[in-house]
Amino acid sequence: MPNLKDLKTRINSVTSTQKITSAMKMVAAAKLRRAQEAAESGRPYATRMQAVIASLAANADKSSASELLVGRAAVKTHLLVIISADKGLCGGFNGSVARLAKHEMNRLETEGKSVQIYFVGRKAADALGSAISDRTFARVEGVQGTNLGFESASEIASKIITGFEEGQFDAVSVIFNRFVNAITQEVTHTSLIPVHIDAPEDEGSESAIFYDYEPEEAEILSALLPRNMSTQIFSALLESSAAELAARMTAMDNATRNAGDMIDRLTLVYNRTRQANITKELIEIISGAEAL
Amino acid sequence: MAETTKMELVTPGRVLVSKSVEMVVIPGSEGFFGVLPRHSALLANLQRGVVEVYEGGKVIDRLMIDGGIADVTPDSVTILTERAEDLNKSNTQEIGERAKAASEAEADFLKDVEAAL
Repeated sequence: MPNLKDLKTRINSVTSTQKITSAMKMVAAAKLRRAQEAAESGRPYATRMQAVIASLAANADKSSASELLVGRAAVKTHLLVIISADKGLCGGFNGSVARLAKHEMNRLETEGKSVQIYFVGRKAADALGSAISDRTFARVEGVQGTNLGFESASEIASKIITGFEEGQFDAVSVIFNRFVNAITQEVTHTSLIPVHIDAPEDEGSESAIFYDYEPEEAEILSALLPRNMSTQIFSALLESSAAELAARMTAMDNATRNAGDMIDRLTLVYNRTRQANITKELIEIISGAEAL
Repeated sequence: MAETTKMELVTPGRVLVSKSVEMVVIPGSEGFFGVLPRHSALLANLQRGVVEVYEGGKVIDRLMIDGGIADVTPDSVTILTERAEDLNKSNTQEIGERAKAASEAEADFLKDVEAAL
């Protein structure tokens, strides 16, 4: 028979947990609105940049094009940029990034390539454990959240480009959670080097325009490609921040509901136990009186 | 009504300008160039400078940009830049205050914005 006092303590503790989770849910919901706006207003720049790159790439001479655009022919080392959250308590958010990362690592390694990892955010690194510490190219934390600016994305991008030019790796891709809507996040894997270009639309439409270049095409490309890298990383960071908050909101909503269920169950047991105790005491008194 | 071209000025954070204009003068890396409707298709690198939007032969908007790229087609002008500031909507004091709080690169840009005001 559970003890009444223990039950009471238990109920109190679950109630305070519920208060915390419901507060976290509200905080996430409030922040989500801003993050979602940021993610959505960041999209035009990224898509236009992609469009410009695509039209340049379509006209560029493949053999002489920059390695940042077309990549290297022989890929020996592949850099994975993994964007996860700095904090937990957001459901499967970090787990799903880590899972895809692990899967891609195994795939690349069975292809005979070696893998380097650039961790953005703490949690994926924790999830993948110490087994990958020898493959860590760099780690950065605290770039997400309220202080997320284009400059932190530029820093990450310039570090990647330096590493690429030094030949530390031959291909780069990024794994992150894309924000779809408040209840759905989609783990996405996009190539950065070579630049991922969406399948061109029908020839003869806009892509058929013959562009003049000022200065030379190659010069524009060399100025544009590093900027494109920052842009793609920035937009991935924005998406990931919004997705993280959405995931946390859902997770905390579930936790609050579960805590409510648990409180109901515990209260039921508490009341039954209390009644059983009263009944027992009554029986004792009555049978005591009868025995006289 | 004179013929117009669709102009957009986009930064990573937001779309700053999106409207139809009669002429826009852009600080290209090789020098300033004006874009009128039916301009030939052009991709140009930009340098830090002031974008001037004309209507009725007069400048109506001035925007400071920090380099970037312009994508000109016969019926549109798209300017992609990392930083931009609308000079009509900013004042010296506010810019000065933001420059103090900003990072080095940003502050450097804001100083030029202040000078252009």
